[in-house]
Amino acid sequence: MKRETQNILLILLGGALVKIAVNGDYLRYVKPAQQPWIVAGGVVMVLLGAVAIVRDLVASRKAAAHDHDGHSHSARPAWLLLVPVLAVFLVAPPALGADSVIRTEARAPSSAAVANAAAFPPLPVGNVVPLTVNDFVSRAGWDSAGTLNGRTVSLTGFVVHTEGTTLLARLVISCCAADAFPVTVRLRGGEADHLASDAWIQVTGQVVPGTATKDNSYTPDFTPASVTSVPAPKDPYEY
Amino acid sequence: MSDGPGIIAVVNIVSDTEAEPGRRTRRFRISSVEVLCAILLIAILAQSRLQQLFDVPALRTGSTVFVAVCVQALPFLVLGVLISGAIAAFVPARVLEKVLPRRAGAAVGVAGLAGVALPGCECASVPVARRLMGQGVAPAAALTFLLAAPAVNPVVLVATAVAFPGKPEMVLARFAGSLATAMVMGWLWARWGKLEWITERALRRLPDVAGGQRWRVFAETARTDLVEAGGFLVLGALISSALNVLVPARWFGVLGDQLVLGVVVMAVLAVVLALCSEADAFVAASLTALPLLPKLVFLVVGPAIDVKLFALQAGTFGKSFAVRFAPVTFVVAVACAIGAGFLVGVV
Repeated sequence: MKRETQNILLILLGGALVKIAVNGDYLRYVKPAQQPWIVAGGVVMVLLGAVAIVRDLVASRKAAAHDHDGHSHSARPAWLLLVPVLAVFLVAPPALGADSVIRTEARAPSSAAVANAAAFPPLPVGNVVPLTVNDFVSRAGWDSAGTLNGRTVSLTGFVVHTEGTTLLARLVISCCAADAFPVTVRLRGGEADHLASDAWIQVTGQVVPGTATKDNSYTPDFTPASVTSVPAPKDPYEY
Repeated sequence: MSDGPGIIAVVNIVSDTEAEPGRRTRRFRISSVEVLCAILLIAILAQSRLQQLFDVPALRTGSTVFVAVCVQALPFLVLGVLISGAIAAFVPARVLEKVLPRRAGAAVGVAGLAGVALPGCECASVPVARRLMGQGVAPAAALTFLLAAPAVNPVVLVATAVAFPGKPEMVLARFAGSLATAMVMGWLWARWGKLEWITERALRRLPDVAGGQRWRVFAETARTDLVEAGGFLVLGALISSALNVLVPARWFGVLGDQLVLGVVVMAVLAVVLALCSEADAFVAASLTALPLLPKLVFLVVGPAIDVKLFALQAGTFGKSFAVRFAPVTFVVAVACAIGAGFLVGVV
C-alpha cells in the first residue's frame, strides 16, 4: 500500500471518529465520558495523516534536498482501517436493542449484586417517581425494606417480545457496547403487546412485590397504569 | 530513517509496486490510491444495498459491537503510538540502557513496576513495548511491561474497587495475579525465549536522532505505528464482535457453583470477549451466580491475552512470536490468578 493511501485512510478514520463524537452518535457505542478521548484520538489521527501528506508534497517538490522516511515493507493489514470508516459513514450501526436483550441473559445490576441486601435510600416524595430501570430492578430484587412497594414509578425503555411475554428493557454499559448487559421488567396487562420490538415507551405503574428472583434473572413484574410511546433518547444506555 | 539524499527515487518505485509485485507494467499500473477511490465510490453508490444487507438483527448487533470496540480502543492506540513516537524521538537508547538494570532478570522487575505508571488499555501498551525493544531494552523486560501496563495501573485498580465495593481483597488479588503473570512471562522469556521468533522489523533499531529532526521522527514513527497496529486492531475488533454475537448467553447461566468449570469458561470468555481492562471488572461483578475465583481469573486473563491483543501482537511482533507467546500467557495467567486467589483468600 502506498504511503499516500495510508495517509488518506488515517484522515478518513480520524474524521469518522470526530464526526460521531461531534454529532452525538458516539453515545450508541460508548459511554459519554469517552467523548474527549474520541475527539482527541480523531484529531491526532487526522493531523498525523495531514502532516505526512504535506511533508511528502514539500519533499517531492525539492526532492534533492530531502531524505525520505518511507518504510517500504508491505502494509496490507492497513486496508482493514477502511472497514470502520465504511461502517461509520455508510452503515452507521444503531444502538443495541431487543436483539441484544434476547441474545444475552438478563443479569443482576452490578451495583445491586455487590451491595446485596444493603439499605437503599427511600424514594423521593411525589406521586410518580421517575427511576432508571437499573435502579428499579436493583430495588425490586434486593431491597429488603421494600422501598418500591405501593409506590408509583415511571420507567423508560424499549419493548422486547420474548417467549410470549412483553418486556421493558434497557441496556447497561460500563465502557462500550461490547460489555452491555440488559436489565428487564415484565409488563403485565398487555397494553404494550401490540407495540413493535425496539419501540421506546414510558410506563408508569407499580412493582408486583417479590417477583424478581434468581430463577427469572431478576426480572420483576410491573403493573402499568399507563403506557406512552416516546421518541428514542439520544443516550440509549444506562450506566 | 535518515537514509541520505537520493534514496527518494528508489523508495517511490518500490512503494508504487510493492502491493502488486506480480503486475509490473510500467505504463499503466493500478496503485492503492486508485483501488481506495474505487472501493469508496462503489460503497457510496451501493449504500442503500449495504444498509439493507445489515438489517438482519444479528448482523446489526455485531456491527454495533464492532464499531463500539473500534471507537473505544482507537483513542488508546493513538495514545500508545504517541508515546512510542516520543520514545523514538526524545529518549536516546543509551538513556534506557542506563536506567534499566543490566541483568534481564532484574530489568523484568523494574519493567513490571513501571507498568503501574501507564494508565491505558492493552491497545496502548503494544506499540510502546515494541518501541522499547527497538530502543535496546531487553525483550524480556519489554514483554513484562506489555503485560503489566494494562492490568495493574491505577485506573484499572480503581475501577475494580468500584465494581467490587466492600471486597478490597479482589483488588489486591487482581494486582498480585496480574503482576505475577507479567513477571513470570518476563522470566520465562529471559530463560527460554528466542530472539528470532520476533520479526526483524519490530527489533529494528532507530539511529540516534539529531536535534533538529526530533519532531519529524516523532510524527513519522507515530504514523507508521498507527497504520500498522490500527489494521490489526480492526481485525481483532471484527473477531471479538463476531464471537460476541455467536457465543451463547447460556455459557454464563449454567456455571452456577461449579468452580472448576467456572474457571475454565471464564478464562475462555476473557479471551473471546476482548473487553477493555477498565470495563471487565463491571462485567465480572454482574455475574452474580459465580463465585469470586472464576471472576478473578476473568480479570487477570483478559488484560494479558485476548483475541484483539493476539491480532495486535501478531501484527507487531510477527506470527511466530504470537503463536508461542499467547498460549503460554494464557496458561500462566490462569495459574497466577488461581495462586493469587488462594493466597489472598478470594475463593
